[in-house]
Amino acid sequence: MTAGRPSDLGNERRRRLPGRGRLLAAGLLIFAVWNSAGAEPPSVTALVKRLDLVGYRSGMNPPHFSGPTLDVRPLSLTELRGKVIVVSFWASWCAECRPEMPVLERLHREFASRGLAMIGINARENKQAVARYAAELGLTFPLVLDPGGKINQRYGVIAIPTTFVIGRDGRAVAFGVGPRDWGSPPARALIEILLAEPLPRAS
Amino acid sequence: MSANITFSQQTFAESLKLPFPLLSDFPERKVMRSYGVLNEKTMTANRSFFLIDPQGIVRRRWLIENPTTTVVYSEPLLRDIREVMGKR
Repeated sequence: MTAGRPSDLGNERRRRLPGRGRLLAAGLLIFAVWNSAGAEPPSVTALVKRLDLVGYRSGMNPPHFSGPTLDVRPLSLTELRGKVIVVSFWASWCAECRPEMPVLERLHREFASRGLAMIGINARENKQAVARYAAELGLTFPLVLDPGGKINQRYGVIAIPTTFVIGRDGRAVAFGVGPRDWGSPPARALIEILLAEPLPRAS
Repeated sequence: MSANITFSQQTFAESLKLPFPLLSDFPERKVMRSYGVLNEKTMTANRSFFLIDPQGIVRRRWLIENPTTTVVYSEPLLRDIREVMGKR
């Protein structure tokens, strides 16, 4: 992975600093940017790269999906329009999913009130197995059951965890195959930036 | 090439780190039909390989009848590719 580049921050700031302070200042600025406290926030593209995600070209929309959640509530992608959506494909037998799920739960609790929709999609496992797993890890975000694996197929998911990020305007922003540190500063910064985007106009 | 949408193909390609492009024949499935490999029931392609030479002539084709149980080994394919390339 590549580290953030201080050159993104502009040369003006660096010219005013004495030579010995440059390195420290650059480090502090990177830290500040990653915490969204800097004057110049990092771009979505830079954060997608930092998280080793694959960014989508503009105009790419994620396929529609709908299905019952663990609490027997129908959930569809359409009803989530206007929210920043994180869709995580997972399974109870997936060892790499296990440490990720509590992190996703924390993000759900922290950002749901501001417009984040965290969604887990489970393929081909029975409801009891999913319920047991959710109770064990204390998961409260919606877990969609996909017994036939149709949603996985529509999204091209053949490895889990695979996670998709969708913007408020419904566009596909990025996806990652394999685990990521979704609680890390760049991941949180990405969510913050997407949450700050304007809501789409009602059609 | 498959009848999957490009969104799905992109995830698939990234999952396997494929070094070559995937093409989507969705929704028309024209290419699959013209190559005679479209399964009209499932509207997906039967697993198949076509070897086309630089002049655009199909030199070999492999039609896999039972893709879930048949293992496709690369060596026979490579042997035929070398043979066709050598004939140029």
